[in-house]
Amino acid sequence: MKYIKSILPLTLAIIWTYALHNSWGTLPPLGKLISPFHGFWVNAEAPESGELTEENLQILGLEQVVTVVYDEMAVPHVFAQNDHDLYLAQGYLTAKDRLWQMEFQTHFAGGRISEIVGEKGMVSDQFQRRMGAVYGAEKSFEGMKEDPKAAVTLQAYSDGVNAYIESLTERNYPLEYKLLNYAPEKWTPIKSALFLKNMSFVLASGTDDLKMTNILRKYGKDIAENLFPNYPFVESPIIPVGTPRDFKPVPIPESPADFIGLGSAMKTPEKDPNIGSNNWAVSGNKTVSGLPMLANDPHLTLSLPSIWYQIQLVAPGVNVYGSTMPGTPNVIVGFNKNVAWGVTNVGSDVLDWYQVKFKDASKAEYWHDGHWKKTTIRIEKFKIKGKESFVDTIFFTHHGPVVYLSHEKPFKSNIPVGHALRWVAHEKSQESTTFYQLNRASNYADYAQALTFYSAPAQNFLFASNQGDIALWVNGKFPLKSYTHGKYLLDGTDPKADWQGFIPQPHNPHAKNPARGFLSSANQSSVDPSYPYYMGWQYAPSERGRRINERLEAMSKITMDSLRGLQNDHFNIRARTLLPLLLAKLKLPAGGIYGQATDELKRWNLQNAADSKGATIFENWVLLLQDAIWADEFAADENVPMNRPSMDRTLKMIQDEPEAIWWDNVKTKNKKENMAEIISGSFAASIDSLLKKHGPLGSEWAWYKHKQTGVRHLIPGMDALSRLNIPIGGGGTMVNAATTKTGPSWRMIVELSKEGRPRAHGVYPGGQSGNPGSAHYDDLIDTWAKGELRPLLYLEKPEDVSGRLRKKIVLSTKK
Amino acid sequence: MRKPLSFSYQLAIVLIMVVIGAIAGIYLPWYALGILFAFLAYILRLPTGNAFVLGLISGFLVWAISAYWINLQHPSSLPGRMANLFPLGGSVLVLYVLSGFFGGLTGGVWAWAGAKLRFK
Repeated sequence: MKYIKSILPLTLAIIWTYALHNSWGTLPPLGKLISPFHGFWVNAEAPESGELTEENLQILGLEQVVTVVYDEMAVPHVFAQNDHDLYLAQGYLTAKDRLWQMEFQTHFAGGRISEIVGEKGMVSDQFQRRMGAVYGAEKSFEGMKEDPKAAVTLQAYSDGVNAYIESLTERNYPLEYKLLNYAPEKWTPIKSALFLKNMSFVLASGTDDLKMTNILRKYGKDIAENLFPNYPFVESPIIPVGTPRDFKPVPIPESPADFIGLGSAMKTPEKDPNIGSNNWAVSGNKTVSGLPMLANDPHLTLSLPSIWYQIQLVAPGVNVYGSTMPGTPNVIVGFNKNVAWGVTNVGSDVLDWYQVKFKDASKAEYWHDGHWKKTTIRIEKFKIKGKESFVDTIFFTHHGPVVYLSHEKPFKSNIPVGHALRWVAHEKSQESTTFYQLNRASNYADYAQALTFYSAPAQNFLFASNQGDIALWVNGKFPLKSYTHGKYLLDGTDPKADWQGFIPQPHNPHAKNPARGFLSSANQSSVDPSYPYYMGWQYAPSERGRRINERLEAMSKITMDSLRGLQNDHFNIRARTLLPLLLAKLKLPAGGIYGQATDELKRWNLQNAADSKGATIFENWVLLLQDAIWADEFAADENVPMNRPSMDRTLKMIQDEPEAIWWDNVKTKNKKENMAEIISGSFAASIDSLLKKHGPLGSEWAWYKHKQTGVRHLIPGMDALSRLNIPIGGGGTMVNAATTKTGPSWRMIVELSKEGRPRAHGVYPGGQSGNPGSAHYDDLIDTWAKGELRPLLYLEKPEDVSGRLRKKIVLSTKK
Repeated sequence: MRKPLSFSYQLAIVLIMVVIGAIAGIYLPWYALGILFAFLAYILRLPTGNAFVLGLISGFLVWAISAYWINLQHPSSLPGRMANLFPLGGSVLVLYVLSGFFGGLTGGVWAWAGAKLRFK
């Protein structure tokens, strides 16, 4: 008994320690985390003094000395003596600032989140792998390695990341490892391929084929084609109408027979990311400097740490500045002495679904072209934190993976079950070569050559040079299709429904030095209907593109500041057309809150400024109006997910089809609503909801307070590490496309110079450091929200003197 | 019955524990502070009650003062963010106390356990 009494406290002490040493559910390991010698306290970084400091670091694998200087934004300017050292340093320095993010994002991409968060990550992990993320990355890595120069960059980058990981001890792990209680693993070059592959998931995995087939099954082809037309009524395509064609089109494949298909019905939550981008270039005859200027602002999910990381990379044959994506070598969007380039996403249809007919439950064979053909399988193994591993079998037809079998529940509502996926992201590819060459391009020919290696996700690659050229290639691998091929689910047994090769790369839509003096893209239709190939039926709404083009048309004597103004433009071009039409039909009792709100709308200057109340009323009304028109016939919450007709089509109906059957709310049995009733009813409902949410019409109705733009930490729900309620105007259909969760993720404007001294400005909503304990974690957000840019420091050599330099690090080989 | 420990003796033990705790923090895992306190309580034959209190006070001082010191040397927004995460309403002062509390309980429980091993 005595013995037990004396051992009991020891047992308690051990239990206490064990409890605080491990994580429990979402609770972090409290003892380890809160210890001032091991936990989060260690991650605090004092702000810089403002004086230039110097440091020497030894890292494994370097061939020669590398000099790095950091400016006041904490952007590293890297001077190496060869490619290998340059990319090794890029890997090392990026990891130094962003290691956790790089690893987390590639874990996500490769379907390995459940290794960190346990079973709750499984559905997302399985989805990633079933969609072929790892399979695609392996294939594209094969392609990337074929270019020896790109192979060096990937391997050296990886060695650099590992050199940093090896320099760490547990106590100086990035904060998130401490919160989630795990350790970084060795980096491998294929992770860079996984990251690039994930950009196809982010930008080119949108698919409406299932929803369209569900509509086809419910309403028939005539209505489906009428409500979902293949070209917008109002458009300003990316390639200017009338651009001369410099190629002879190849024959278009024969159309497959009409196919209705089974569709599928699985209730899953709706997700609608509002991702798009803007870029434009103007010729020298429109600028004050007399040389071209280029602007780009890719819109992605706003996150902390930011998706972008700025760097300047200098070595023999290259001196490039721009934004990189942590996890991959090279600059993705940027400029060098002679050229600048930027990208926006292409919304063409590069993903199709084939209904599969298996022979039997073994799924060993499937029917195609009058024969039973053999499926192949791929085994995916999942390690799950706190659980036994899970082994999954994926069946492949010659099209691609059968993402979900007929009895399975899909992760997203737009993914059909029992269908094989054909997706350009599964092709062997060489994106790393494109960026390697773009970083070194000195003229149009170099740029055009670099693009020939690029597959996915397809981008509008915009270009400007100090020789006076501006150009845009809608570039990537595009399947060669018959008209509207793949708009609906396809018949997996019909060989005519298969993809029949790709549009030859030189035939991709492109334009150079157009007469109008500018080129731009904002994810709208790539081309007008005279282009000989079919690329897709649905692109981003035309508003941003139209606004940019009408402004650039009108602008002359362009400067950095006037382009900055355009990047921050929040004129509501949709309201310009739609609002007068709606107000003309609005019938409500005068006075009261409805009267006040109507007056506010009539006074509104059509600008979605941060403090605008009119913008809040208009945007909320349009949202509820679309619900009121379409939700009864095209309910998203029914078990059969369907698309809704676009705003472009809805506007056409408001203008020209007051008697359309769609105005009636079919849910009200004994009543037939007309257009005015739907418009007035949705207005009243919208005002009621605003009143409930924000109180009487006043400053609480300000657009930014309603919209709630936030830059959120990558771990969902980590508000303490996020910046919320940011005062910024704009919105999804405006040039300044800041929405609740997405927005301009990197704004850049470059003014080229004959002497090779480009003047550039840029900002992104985040900061260079991924460490929430650093002053550089979110120091650029306020500048971004105000619509300002920072001058980007472009150095020639490490000895260049600048008052903006804060830190110098000399990297040498560790013996 | 042993006679009560003198105040100066107790103070000396706290000082020793604080120094040991700080050195352990710098070189060893976070829980080493506890194990070393247990060892100390064992070899000094501390009465169990005293052991707990002295371990608690020393552990609290080591962790709370170190946390305060780090924030003084490396001022950043991180403690404020963490004080929102935990959630402590963003109060860094409460965060120092919380840090001290965990260090204190670790020190106290282990010192008590060490003392208990001697007093059969």
